[in-house]
Amino acid sequence: MNKGVPLAEALALYHRAADRAPAPVLADIDTLLNAYHPDHARSSAIKLTVGVNAGDECQRDLADLLQAETFIDEANLAGAPVTDVDVLVVGGGGAGCAAALTASEQGARVLLATKLRLGDSNTVMAEGGIQAAIDPEDSVQCHIQDTLRGGHYGGDPALVAAMAGDGPDVLRWLINLGMQFETTPGGDLQTRRAGGMSVARLVYCRDYTGLEMMRVLREAVIQHRSIEVWEQSPVVELLSNEHGQKCVGAVVTSLIDGQVRIVRTRSVILATGGLGRLHLNGFPTSNHLGATGDGLVLAYRIGAKLRDLDSFQYHPTGLVNTPHLSGKLVTEAVRAAGAVLLNGNARRFIDELQPRDVVCAAIVRECAEGRGVDINGQRVGVWLDTPHLEQSQPGLLEKQFPNLMTRTRVSGIDPRAEPLLVYPTLHYQNGGAVIDANGATTVPGLFAAGELAGGIHGRNRIMGNALLDIISFGRRAGIAATATRDRGPKKVTLEHVNRLRRALTLAGMPMSRRSPQVLPPYAAKGLWNH
Amino acid sequence: MSSTITDADRQQVVTLTINGVTVSVNKGMTLVEAAWHAGISRVTSVGCLEGVCGSCRVMLGRGKEVTVGLACQTFVEAGIEVVFLPAASAPRHHYEIDDFQDGWDIHARFHEIFPEASRCRHCHGCVRSCPKGIAVEDGIALAAAGRYRDAGETFIECVMCELCDVACPELIAPAHVGLFCRRVTAHFHLRPPNLIFRLEAIRQSRMEPDHE
Ligand SMILES: Cc1cc2nc3c(=O)[nH]c(=O)nc-3n(C[C@H](O)[C@H](O)[C@H](O)COP(=O)(O)OP(=O)(O)OC[C@H]3O[C@@H](n4cnc5c(N)ncnc54)[C@H](O)[C@@H]3O)c2cc1C
Ligand code: SF4
Ligand code: SF4
Repeated sequence: MNKGVPLAEALALYHRAADRAPAPVLADIDTLLNAYHPDHARSSAIKLTVGVNAGDECQRDLADLLQAETFIDEANLAGAPVTDVDVLVVGGGGAGCAAALTASEQGARVLLATKLRLGDSNTVMAEGGIQAAIDPEDSVQCHIQDTLRGGHYGGDPALVAAMAGDGPDVLRWLINLGMQFETTPGGDLQTRRAGGMSVARLVYCRDYTGLEMMRVLREAVIQHRSIEVWEQSPVVELLSNEHGQKCVGAVVTSLIDGQVRIVRTRSVILATGGLGRLHLNGFPTSNHLGATGDGLVLAYRIGAKLRDLDSFQYHPTGLVNTPHLSGKLVTEAVRAAGAVLLNGNARRFIDELQPRDVVCAAIVRECAEGRGVDINGQRVGVWLDTPHLEQSQPGLLEKQFPNLMTRTRVSGIDPRAEPLLVYPTLHYQNGGAVIDANGATTVPGLFAAGELAGGIHGRNRIMGNALLDIISFGRRAGIAATATRDRGPKKVTLEHVNRLRRALTLAGMPMSRRSPQVLPPYAAKGLWNH
Repeated sequence: MSSTITDADRQQVVTLTINGVTVSVNKGMTLVEAAWHAGISRVTSVGCLEGVCGSCRVMLGRGKEVTVGLACQTFVEAGIEVVFLPAASAPRHHYEIDDFQDGWDIHARFHEIFPEASRCRHCHGCVRSCPKGIAVEDGIALAAAGRYRDAGETFIECVMCELCDVACPELIAPAHVGLFCRRVTAHFHLRPPNLIFRLEAIRQSRMEPDHE
């Protein structure tokens, strides 16, 4: 990468630049994306060698984890305590809680095992809102169209229709559980329009939509009489029947004391969320600490088909000002409100309201070609011109973006006085486990919901559809997982692990690497050295 | 303060203790980063790193003064003693929102579920411990008086760290009281016409004979 404009020099240029000239017109979007979007970066994707997706494109770092050894062998299981439940839900974010609540509504005994604390999730961090077609101008059909278009027509129309059709009832369900939303003076739910929507469809709760959703779901789960919750309890392997063909349970460990436990079930619902903390292609992330793609690894090893493993959303404006804020989101709404992007020479370089993938690629281009702002040769970014926004609309930042202001204040940064340094941040996993409209994966007994599942958002997700997706498919999976009333497993085995191990050996792949990752190395270092 | 100064600051080294272990780290780090950097074991209570998940609860000792906070939002200081707190224990107050038949007896139900809420002794313990600066004590008073909507509004920024629960000598569990207030407000009072209209339209279209 070319070195950029040194910070001090860039700041001086920034302060001297009087006018904000219009952004140059973008000649060719495809050329820009192909050259600079991280998904297209040379060496980003490789072809998988083993497993159900052999031959498919997959991001390189993820491929390493999918084609790896497990932590668990038969010896670990001998003598491990066994718990029997009807449904095991893996993951305590929005999708997992919705699945657990719905399964227990159906009368199932439910165990929810989650890696960290219940509610530690990407869900709690969502700010923007949740989509549902409730505006008089809007329709479910229109929601379907917008979602498919936004995903570059890569989504599965049946899944999109299921999700969009659920939208209004998802809101009713959340309200019944006690979630609040912004309302108009007449009592209607307030809707607003965001990128990719043809009408106003985003409902929200201040800029704390995910927090409000998560704390209500968390409380409902904790209070529920027939849901048991194990916190600090990552699932590190699934269990299959003697043919390795059906999921019949899981292996749970403890972050506190390392104990291994076996859970035997009729169905397992994976709801482990995304993978930002794998820092694909070396990117920082907006995701919570537990987002290490564990569910993809577990699902793949037991034979579930995955899809779009080479497609990720990099949010254009992640903070780079100080290391501890690295990758933290500055919501798109700041650009929508009028903040422009400037390179190290204090020039605009892209229409800031282009789709996320395009703006992202443009920022990467500026920095790669030496027009970024260089901080001590360690970090690089471009300016998000918040002071100019503040000048043109005094008080706006404080009023509309209290969350951003609080976070930067803690670090001694005032976005009203100095521009923020931003660079794209790994935000969302577009693909994931292949599911049907019931959340069933291609492996019997195994369901998937939420960010882990693929096929809904195609190759690009539009704002507000993730929060809808997790509740819609969380509930669907919760119902379907309890409908299979077979008499439960007799034998739990690691047959599927042996199968993958054989395939790895045959393919001459290295067996040194183990997965799932559970925690990023920088955090695990302190966690595991007892 | 500009980002340049923050960067320069980072060259300075400060010494503190985390979970009893003495560590020397660079200034400008949060307590979470310092714990990772020093390889402090068993720090599992870390989540969003943004101050919204309420997990990384720490006790902070500066000389005789002891406070609490969130580790991802607190920066290292020389000499400070940091202890990562264990997860909160299971709640003592139980209800399911579907237990409530209608809203007319909600006041009685509230005091059955949270009998301690009317015994606040105004010690400010909850307010002092809240990392979000919430007027917890006022919220409890509103709840005890049956003003659930206003009480709930007080807790809009609550991240469920439950530090106020730990602080409360009357075992009121203010965090859960706050959430109760927010939940019953939505559960009983949020009846948006636009949503109801759309739900009914969808129901009717499903009943049409040509709907498969
Ligand atoms: C900063 C930010 C802002 C966002 N804003 C919006 C928005 O405005 N609107 C919108 O629609 N979407 C938004 N999104 C996306 C959306 O929040 C997520 O896609 C969605 O919440 C994912 O929900 P989930 O339940 O699938 O996963 P999560 O909420 O991430 O939950 C997954 C859970 O599984 C646990 N887990 C992981 N691995 C294991 C394991 N091995 N064993 C046990 N448990 C495990 C995790 O600890 C976590 O608790 C945003 C995301 C971020 C990061
Ligand atoms: S009100 Fe209580 S639980 Fe909520 S943020 Fe404050 S201290 Fe934490
Ligand atoms: S800590 Fe408890 S008793 Fe003290 S002011 Fe708060 S609610 Fe009242």
